Amino acid sequence: MSLSRREFLKSSAAASAAAAIGMSVPAELEAAATKAEKSWRWDKAACRFCGTGCGIMLATTGDGKDRKIVAVKGDPAAPVNRGLNCIKGYFNAKIMYGADRLTQPLLRVNDKGEFDKKGKFAPISWKRAYDEMEKNIRKALKEKGPEGVAVFASGQYTIMEGYAAQKMMKGGFRSNAIDPNARHCMASAVVGFYQTFGIDEPSGCYDDIELTDTIVTWGSNMAEMHPILWSRVTDRKLSDPERVKVVNIQTYTHRTCDLGDFNIIFRPNTDLALWNYLAREIVYNHPESIDWDFIKKNIIFAAGPVNIGYGFRRAGEKSLTPVRADGSAGKYDAKEMEIYNKEMSKVVSELEGPALEPYGYKAGDTMKNIPGTLAHHEISFEDYKKSLAPYTLEYTAKLCKGDPEESLDSFKKKLQDLAALYIEKDRKVVSFWTMGMNQHTRGTWDNTLSYNVHFMLNKQARPGSGAFSLTGQPSACGTAREVGTFAHRLPADMMVKNPKHRAITEKGWHIPAGTLNPVGNQHIMKIHRDIEDGVVKFAWVNVCNAYQDSANAKHWIKAAREMDNFIVTSDGYPGISAMVSDLILPSAMIYEKWGAYGNAERRSQHWRQQVLPVGDAMSDTWQWVELSKRFTVDDLWGPYTLRNGKKLADVREKAYAMGYKPDTTMYEILFANERAKKNYPLALDQFPQKGYDNSECLGDARNVVGSDGKVFKGYGFMIHQYLWEEYASFGRGHGHDLADFVTYHKVRGLKWPVVNGKETAWRFNVKFDPYAAKHAKENGRGSEFAFYGPLAKALPFGNLTTVTDKKKKPLTDKAKIFARPYMDPPEMPDENYDLWLCTGRVLEHWHSGTMTMRVPELYRAVPEALVYMNPETAKERGLKDNDLCWVESRRGRVRARVETRGRNRPPKPLVFVPWFDERVFINKVTLDQTCPMSKQTDFKKCAVKIYKA
Amino acid sequence: MKILTKITIGFATATLLLVGCNETAKVKPQEKTQVKPIIDESHLGYRGTTDLLKEDVVPPKVEYHSAAPGTSKKFKRAYQDAPPMIPHDTTGMLPITQDNNQCLMCHMPDMAPSMGATPIPVSHFTNFRPHTAVKGDEILKNGKVITNTSSEIQAHVSIKVDKDEKHLYAGRFNCTQCHAPQATNMLVDQNSFRPVYTDPNGATKSSWDQSKWMKNIDTEK
Repeated sequence: MSLSRREFLKSSAAASAAAAIGMSVPAELEAAATKAEKSWRWDKAACRFCGTGCGIMLATTGDGKDRKIVAVKGDPAAPVNRGLNCIKGYFNAKIMYGADRLTQPLLRVNDKGEFDKKGKFAPISWKRAYDEMEKNIRKALKEKGPEGVAVFASGQYTIMEGYAAQKMMKGGFRSNAIDPNARHCMASAVVGFYQTFGIDEPSGCYDDIELTDTIVTWGSNMAEMHPILWSRVTDRKLSDPERVKVVNIQTYTHRTCDLGDFNIIFRPNTDLALWNYLAREIVYNHPESIDWDFIKKNIIFAAGPVNIGYGFRRAGEKSLTPVRADGSAGKYDAKEMEIYNKEMSKVVSELEGPALEPYGYKAGDTMKNIPGTLAHHEISFEDYKKSLAPYTLEYTAKLCKGDPEESLDSFKKKLQDLAALYIEKDRKVVSFWTMGMNQHTRGTWDNTLSYNVHFMLNKQARPGSGAFSLTGQPSACGTAREVGTFAHRLPADMMVKNPKHRAITEKGWHIPAGTLNPVGNQHIMKIHRDIEDGVVKFAWVNVCNAYQDSANAKHWIKAAREMDNFIVTSDGYPGISAMVSDLILPSAMIYEKWGAYGNAERRSQHWRQQVLPVGDAMSDTWQWVELSKRFTVDDLWGPYTLRNGKKLADVREKAYAMGYKPDTTMYEILFANERAKKNYPLALDQFPQKGYDNSECLGDARNVVGSDGKVFKGYGFMIHQYLWEEYASFGRGHGHDLADFVTYHKVRGLKWPVVNGKETAWRFNVKFDPYAAKHAKENGRGSEFAFYGPLAKALPFGNLTTVTDKKKKPLTDKAKIFARPYMDPPEMPDENYDLWLCTGRVLEHWHSGTMTMRVPELYRAVPEALVYMNPETAKERGLKDNDLCWVESRRGRVRARVETRGRNRPPKPLVFVPWFDERVFINKVTLDQTCPMSKQTDFKKCAVKIYKA
Repeated sequence: MKILTKITIGFATATLLLVGCNETAKVKPQEKTQVKPIIDESHLGYRGTTDLLKEDVVPPKVEYHSAAPGTSKKFKRAYQDAPPMIPHDTTGMLPITQDNNQCLMCHMPDMAPSMGATPIPVSHFTNFRPHTAVKGDEILKNGKVITNTSSEIQAHVSIKVDKDEKHLYAGRFNCTQCHAPQATNMLVDQNSFRPVYTDPNGATKSSWDQSKWMKNIDTEK
């Protein structure tokens, strides 16, 4: 029996309506409803949201433009989640269907239809949108060179999108001003990896959860932020509750703590001291637990400067001049400068004094800060031991205890119990962390301190043991890091400042030697600051919400709206970034395009386009490729002088010698080149392309009028496969090996490096990592490990305060244990701003809420951002639940409602306000402090006051 | 003048929303002369203000459904086999801790009928995760050495079901990870997703069993 579409809709609607009100359904219609599923197409995909990287199965039905998602199920074959999703995972079904999806480009115009920064938005064609972008990019390049063109990029780009963006920015525009929101999310983990292992890689994998005996979370609300990993932890814990221990080390009590055997609530930033306390316990009180054989073969000790500032603007920068008598400076008022001035120098506090003594400072000293440096040198074990001396149980407990209601003795006992769990011989331990340790004014230090403890006990990179950074975003590992969508990076761990790496990339991209810009310093906060300084004149927001997600947001919004620049936002829904922009572009969302993500355990997962995009929306890959059609060799590859005086050579002659012409477009060079067209033809009758839409390669039934004013008919070759394979070619044979495009469509992801068809479970471990095996054989040390990352693998020697021997000594295949002290964050509660403010996410909403606030079930679950506070804190201020209050810092204030009985239960001195809600715009209140080494913003602490609104 | 602007904006917004829902209402690509400034930025998103720097947003009061367990009207499932939302007051029932999961008291299959609660379906007594072990340099799943964790097809997926429905799969212990109470707040936006229930009771009941769940998971076609 075939059912017409009309009958089909009628029957399913009747069945659902009848079921909802408890009527009985005529049997004939019932049968028709069941048959409806026969027309469903199920296919695998990756979840859109967090870094866990769950597999989902998506059902779609309908023809052509009408094909829509109708159901989602957890994929039983996906090793990450085995048939289970969290609430957001299930509602992937609805995220593309919010009523206010962007469907057309929108431009600010005046009554004559001309671009006007102060105008309202008008729907325009793609062609008009590209005319405006082209014009403004040309203007920016002419006025400021490549540094004037910037992109707010994303850890939620698909791998191919990120690679396309990076190619056009770095290869085409010669601009390194592309940096992802992942900078806000795991840059500290990355620098921690580089410093410790010499390569940006986690050692372990999720199987550690089933293999371990102890799960310790540090600054991570896994139950809400990585729910499926938490369900694996829960399963492990409840399956063997006596043996398996769960400890949570947090600044406030939350859902993750509900499963804990015990929880340590600490004062913000003092996790640095907690790690050092554990190390001191090992070195001073349990030296027998140190695996010296492992240390001697695999580890050296290291230190670096401590006076590195807080990643703020420095005195003399354009927006900080002139300095006025009232304490204000440039665009910053006196209150803001109270904190900013600490970037230049600070007075060592009583709290941090003892911790800094081994480094030559004591309480009351003035510390002159020199901007963050990655430099470090080798030290002796004796010096490392000296650095740990201050962290006695007494000092650590007094410094770290975060809940005034808890007794010091109770807190001390927990510290001792924690140390005992780590140290216990034959007890496997996994330390997980997320934003608490990464969004930290000393995030890089905090990350390296975690490895210290695991290394000394030889509990790293082993099945069931290791310190593991849980990434926040679905492709922070895959796109931001591996593709290298950062200001300073190139694909597969290569760096823009390394001439050899630039040469490899130029060769791979078939662009002239010397094209790539060696200066990559425009990280995401720097891009905002460069806009405020009038250096960046064109900025494009891709797959993120840069104006809602950046701390101290008022400055950046003012700069975007009031200065001479052109801001573009590509998005599925209009968020704050769209409101701030001059031009808004409608983007195809996740299952409206082919894509791939790389998750936190190094697993790459691909999916096919399931449905056509809405309206005229097109993918970000398409948007980049179309932009490349507008610029030629002569447009972009002439000479430039950067602001530091460095020259970028004129490479046009070299380009001509390669066969390019003055008017050859970047499209022909970077994307639709001969090798792409020849090697990656369409194969519509073969797996995986057969039967699936492909809007970029074929055009589609919507007949979207493209950037040239003509109906877009597709690129005519398999551009997704081309971008994947070219990107993968940089990592193969270099520890970043990926399988081929088609293989990923057959499997539920593979953990890189994939060598001879086999994935790698534990990095650096000779038994499981073929690269480790190779290196161990070569170095002949007979170790079970090889920490073979190549970065900073020769160091000068010194002590805790200075370098004594500048001659660099190699440390082939070794990892590092760093001496790093506790230090205060720059802003702490005082009599005027008496509470800590911590921001973050909630389970039901993703980041800035642009998608999840459009899903009725998720919206209603948490319809707005509340101020979670201790009942006493509320009472003292005359507040009760659901009252409106002001949350005010030196930078701004927002109104929000009080919640004292909710899922987050802070100690008295702290409040938590999530950031997903554009009405409770909490980033107007936060501080743009960063780890000075990783440049990652610390959203987890600043000082506020709260009063009734 | 003010009223006129409001009407224009209202009209423009309506047009914009229509575009999202209905292809045929699409505004044709326009010539420069037809480009009109019709959409105020306050109509983008749900903040509802023109000046982002102003402090003029008062978030609405949040009120959750307050009916006591057993007395509340159940919500329709979002689609066939979507996790149901919590229709009753949860005050005093959370948090879920190691030794106290109050959800289970009423929702375990043997208790649910007498409590008027939605019974926990068989999906929650099903565990697809194979046992993981490491021996030397080999990774074992259910005792079998594997090359890759993801080389599975339907035939290889591990299934363990507690047929008596007495022991919840512990990975599903954190009920609030999928099921959430719902506020009565007005939606910021409608959503055009339309479920197709393939089971006559699809709006209220799970139809998952392992065979249905496993269907169609071999996607290499």
